[in-house]
Amino acid sequence: MLKPILLVEDDLRDQELTLLALERSQLANDVVVMRDGAAALDYLRREGEYASRQEGNPAVILLDLKLPKVNGLEVLEAVRNTPALRSVPVVMLTSSQEEADLLRSYELGVNAYVVKPVEFKQFVSSIADLGMFWAVLNEPPPGSLRASRRHD
Amino acid sequence: MTPTPDLTLCDIEPIRVPGAIQSHGRMLVLDGATLALRAWSANWAGEGLQAEAAARALAALDALDAQVLRATPADGSAVQVGSLRSGDRVQDCWAHRNATQLIVECEPQAGPRRHEAPIYTVARDFLPRLQAARTLQALAQLAACELQRLTGFGRSLVYRFDEDGHGEVLGEALEPGYDSYLGLHFPAADIPKQARALYLANRFRLIPDATYQPVPLLAAADGPAVHEIDLSQAFLRSVSPVHLEYMRNMGTLASLSVSIVVDGRLWGLASCHDHAPRLLDADMRAACTHLGQLLSMQVEALQANAEVAARLELRHWTLQLVSQLADSDASLRRILHEPALLLRMARATGAAVVLDEQVWTTGETPPQEALLELAGWIAGMGTEVYESAQIAAHYPPAAAWQPTAAGVLAISISQVHRHVLLWFRPEVVQTVTWAGDPRKPSSPTDAAGRIHPRRSFERWAEQIGGRCLPWSAAETAAVAELRQALIGIVLRRAEELAAMASELGRANKELEAFSYTVSHDLRAPMRHIAGYVDLVMDAEGAVLSERAHRYMHHVKDAAAFAGQLVDALLDFSRMGRTALNLKRVDTDSLVQGLVREITRHERKRQIEWHVEAGLPALTADPLLLQVAVRNLIGNAVKYSRDRSPAVVHVRAVRNAQGQGLEVQDNGVGFQMQYVGKLFNVFQRLHQSEEFEGTGIGLANVKRIVERHGGSVWARGEPGQGATFGFVLPGSGQNAQAIPSPAIPSGHA
Repeated sequence: MLKPILLVEDDLRDQELTLLALERSQLANDVVVMRDGAAALDYLRREGEYASRQEGNPAVILLDLKLPKVNGLEVLEAVRNTPALRSVPVVMLTSSQEEADLLRSYELGVNAYVVKPVEFKQFVSSIADLGMFWAVLNEPPPGSLRASRRHD
Repeated sequence: MTPTPDLTLCDIEPIRVPGAIQSHGRMLVLDGATLALRAWSANWAGEGLQAEAAARALAALDALDAQVLRATPADGSAVQVGSLRSGDRVQDCWAHRNATQLIVECEPQAGPRRHEAPIYTVARDFLPRLQAARTLQALAQLAACELQRLTGFGRSLVYRFDEDGHGEVLGEALEPGYDSYLGLHFPAADIPKQARALYLANRFRLIPDATYQPVPLLAAADGPAVHEIDLSQAFLRSVSPVHLEYMRNMGTLASLSVSIVVDGRLWGLASCHDHAPRLLDADMRAACTHLGQLLSMQVEALQANAEVAARLELRHWTLQLVSQLADSDASLRRILHEPALLLRMARATGAAVVLDEQVWTTGETPPQEALLELAGWIAGMGTEVYESAQIAAHYPPAAAWQPTAAGVLAISISQVHRHVLLWFRPEVVQTVTWAGDPRKPSSPTDAAGRIHPRRSFERWAEQIGGRCLPWSAAETAAVAELRQALIGIVLRRAEELAAMASELGRANKELEAFSYTVSHDLRAPMRHIAGYVDLVMDAEGAVLSERAHRYMHHVKDAAAFAGQLVDALLDFSRMGRTALNLKRVDTDSLVQGLVREITRHERKRQIEWHVEAGLPALTADPLLLQVAVRNLIGNAVKYSRDRSPAVVHVRAVRNAQGQGLEVQDNGVGFQMQYVGKLFNVFQRLHQSEEFEGTGIGLANVKRIVERHGGSVWARGEPGQGATFGFVLPGSGQNAQAIPSPAIPSGHA
């Protein structure tokens, strides 16, 4: 089974549009949606509400920058500081083209930074490209779920 | 040229230890401790009777009371120690001590005793009149008259020394037959330096008869060398033969002088002359000494009062100047907003403020370049206050503007920068009337090599130029005080600026937060509108009418445009906020690259490019400069789209402000009356249907150029094309014209 894509997005419309875009890019991965950074971290760490979820990291995290409670940059930082999560690809998916955010994201080790285009068609193609690259094409680094499963 | 001997040679004459006394009295020199007789004047007996003189001196000593002699105070003051009687002649004896000896001076008792000592009339009558005098001239005149009345000398003068030691006669009392010296100046050389020192120590001198034959001192066999006996406090001290000759040249046989000592300095002399010999008794000498002391105190008081009054007045003006400065933005240049006050406080006729390379002036001053150099020279000395009444003597270039600014008073505000305030006074060509030509000591040496003072006392007028009225101590103090106040204001201003900078920084942070929110939250709804419209068209496109399709397109376009606007606005605000990263940018390759890129995009169009060779290298932020140049070239291409071919020129611009580029097209142009609006945000001169765009491009260009300290311009004619250009200042002069968090430039 393909690893899921974790989408962290608080805006319901953006959520819907992103999901549509992912759908149109015809990826087979499941998409897990979280509406704030805190929930996303709980999910990733299998804590709180998600303590009982099945083991395994997502194929890619699509992370909105501006999130309630714990913002995208903080989620990214936490992911990179958690050994078990460190190698999960993270893509910042954001409205902002603020240079400072971009710099900070790369400092924290983001894999890609995408400013959501206003045009929906462009948006779809961006998402599709991202999905293809990170969820399907990219060979997961050693230690990720799929790699470790081979040793099962 | 052989050195001209002058009377300053007198500076080496042994006037303190002449080894001789004047002939109107007799002297005993005793050992200070044992009171043993060490030396005596030869005139205790007749000429050639040395043994006799020794015997009589010893006898005289015996006749005096040793107890009384021993009681002579150690401080050098003279006390009466008794009298000697031989036949019907009585001699009064006075004693004082020098470092090692006790000197006894004997003089014939004056005629019949007065019923009242003259010192009482001085205290009773003269003092109140002296106290009523309000000017130095009045004081001098009163003292001269009193001295003449007391002593009966034919001429009485009171004169003052200037800084260079020249004397000026301020008061005079004359009997008939005496020449007036009032208003005359005596050159400093007339009173040798060591005589001045002596006058400070011994405040009263009398030479009863300038024709006297000096009486040598004779020493005991085991006594001191007579030329080692210090007679500086002895009233019988024999004076320099040069001085006697000077007196005789003046037609003066008797003279007395009283020192006027103010603030510990020899301020002047009261001096009397008579054509005939004149002896004054001890009471009279005491009265004259007392008169000198009263005059000294009164001069001191008058000067102190004048000084205080002057300082108060100057302080008042200084405060006025400072208070109006403190109310302003405190830039030093503001001090010139009250030119009258600024000039008055230093009694100057011109003033200038020099701040680094800038100069502001009021009144009569040297030319700007000269001011810059002078200010640099003064600042280089590192002194806080500089003053010279004769600047050209210290700073040769000043000779060029001597008539307007012979003297300079200046304060240096900064240790680091050339921040100097200067005041100027014009040359005052003074006519000084010397008593004789000070430049020609007549026959200074005779055949025997002896010095003669001048023989002529005819008036001789000399023009003295190259200097201004001297800057007074009060004026110097006032500008020093102004300097302190200015530094205080400047410091306070710096604090305010620092506070303003942090306030600006805070505002800037808020603005950043605001635009961050805008960028995030404003773009999202645009995206949603566009996204959902797309979805509707995808899903329901087939059932929508033609008209509905058109409407949906409008919605989409509008959303897309709003998105572009938000992006452009954010770019614009970012342009003003990001720090400049200055580098050398080769605009030649920058322009070539942009031309290639645009040509690629506009394949369908015919564009004729004329890019001048050798475009300048500019010091600029490469990214920002690229945005600016791209905008200019992009505009040229955009607004010439109706032309075939479109002709675009890119040229180098080099002028006084710096270097830059100019881009010319043959497009639609614009009306010059709107040129001022062109560079404003969202300002468009064309219908948006005609030419797409957000209306921010030129505002961006302007902001970028101004952040580099440069300037932009535009020229155009409707239908005739337009030309846009900019220049950036040369490296090192870039100013942060749009300050954001930086402290606004400018001088405080």
